[in-house]
Amino acid sequence: MTPAAGAAPSGGPAAARDRPPAPVAVRRRWTGSTIGLYAAIVAISAFLLFPVYVIFLMAFLPDNDTIYSPRPPLIPPTFTLSNLTQALTSANSPFLPSMYFSLEIAFLVGAIALLIGIPTAYGLSRLAPRLAYGLTTVMFIVNMLPSITIALPISVQFIKAGLYGSAISIALAQELLALPVTVFLLVGAFHALPPDLENQARVDGASRPQAIFGNLVPLIRPAIVASFLLAWMLSWDESTFALILSNPVHSPLAVEIFYSVTSRGNAVYAVAFSFIATVPVLILVVFLQRYLKGEDLAVGVRG
Amino acid sequence: MSVAYRGGGTPPAPVASFWQRHREQLFPLLFVIPAIVYVGYFAFYPAVDAVVLSFQTPIQSFTLFNYEFNVNQGMYTWISNTLWVTLGALALQFGLALAIASILARQFRGRTIFATIAILPIGIATVVAGYTWSQILPGTGGGYANSVLASFGWAPVYWLNTVPGALAAVVVADSWKNTALVVIILVAGYATIPKSLYQAAAIDGAGPLRQFRYVTLPGLRSFIVIALLIRGAQEVNIFQLAYEMIGSYPQLLTVQIYELWGSGEGIYLAASAASVLLGIIAIFIVAVLALGARR
Repeated sequence: MTPAAGAAPSGGPAAARDRPPAPVAVRRRWTGSTIGLYAAIVAISAFLLFPVYVIFLMAFLPDNDTIYSPRPPLIPPTFTLSNLTQALTSANSPFLPSMYFSLEIAFLVGAIALLIGIPTAYGLSRLAPRLAYGLTTVMFIVNMLPSITIALPISVQFIKAGLYGSAISIALAQELLALPVTVFLLVGAFHALPPDLENQARVDGASRPQAIFGNLVPLIRPAIVASFLLAWMLSWDESTFALILSNPVHSPLAVEIFYSVTSRGNAVYAVAFSFIATVPVLILVVFLQRYLKGEDLAVGVRG
Repeated sequence: MSVAYRGGGTPPAPVASFWQRHREQLFPLLFVIPAIVYVGYFAFYPAVDAVVLSFQTPIQSFTLFNYEFNVNQGMYTWISNTLWVTLGALALQFGLALAIASILARQFRGRTIFATIAILPIGIATVVAGYTWSQILPGTGGGYANSVLASFGWAPVYWLNTVPGALAAVVVADSWKNTALVVIILVAGYATIPKSLYQAAAIDGAGPLRQFRYVTLPGLRSFIVIALLIRGAQEVNIFQLAYEMIGSYPQLLTVQIYELWGSGEGIYLAASAASVLLGIIAIFIVAVLALGARR
């Protein structure tokens, strides 16, 4: 395994600095402070976990015990798989098509993020700091622009171009959210590489593109995998562009859930799709945890 | 171009030497061009286009009609509701995130598990979070939060009955979903504070609260500002989560844009409300630029 370039700079010194701030102080106030600490942890955890628990209850309990109950039970009296099987197998269920559509869009967003993001991140890591800072700010601003404002004129453009509702059109819009994050993460990874690496490769006879894509890019592979997955996840979660830019008869899963809740009102689909849409991403989040710690962001904030 | 070479053996023309002289800067610039073209075409052009459309109708090329119409429909209320949600969500998220990040900065049994729980809501899609919270805090007097209250023997609450109540419900749900993003930024900030500062403060007799006030907060300042700007802009954009919980009343700017867009009135009325939204976001963008200029 190559040195984990994406995490190496942060993993080492930052982890060391993560140690307790003042062990002396903690030990001195052992009982009071420890009890308070665990009380806070339990309270916050309960708040954060409760809705996840509700998602499970709604998915695996008959709807009379959940969404149609005036006082839904907190302890499951019974379990059922019928919500899931009904939503998955019912002939007119939009589940499979919209699931495939969401997957297609999410993979496109991940792929485009790397296709544009890797060269951009390399360029930014080599440009004069002032210029690089200006361009980074532009990416930051793109991330802040309101999706719904952007989506309206884009929808008109896509209708004109005959692309309205296609996976690529939705992916290109969602990329506005994924690309900045990808670029921030990858710039951090490129910066963490020794600056002489590229020069050495070129002294050894590699052309500049060869040095970049043959020597540098493989070294930041962990960061590349992480940014692909983050982009994928952002797309899976994104629903504003998806709502405005997709055709109501063939929309991604998130939009299908939104319709089930707001207009079409098929509650069984809503609970089942919610559960199914959640599971893969929850697994991803746990898997991606070390990249979500934000030390790469620290590099970004400091410039 | 026109004078590439003056003669047989003369040195390269100025064009070539410009490339030669600035090669180190121009070469990386080439790599950035696709991204610039992309965001120009898909972000900045549509943003300008939305503003242009907001001053048009199918028969007029410049008019204030769309704005006047929306103001008559109560656009000031849409804006103030949106700002209340933004302020409330920022307050709740930063309070919660500071608490979580302070806990994560310590070493204790179960820290990894708590860290995982703290970022778990990132994995729940916004539309799923909105639906789930609509079942926890519904307006019917039922729902899961009332089940919890009932288990303590308390009377049910009609969460959405008042405008502040409904907006507060949205704030709670949104903060549940998004606090993790603030936590990530603040944890990154914590990692940059030298631990020796805490030891020095402890030796000087500063307790946890004073350490927080005089070491943690100053150390986190730039991270807090960044996180406020990122989250503030996103909060103004709050849309589907709120729509699933409270529908189109109390009115929020984004929800109204969506309803206008779908109402068959054409894109123009929606574009004017969308331009107002863009204007509010522009304040955050200017703040980012001002921050950059101060560096």
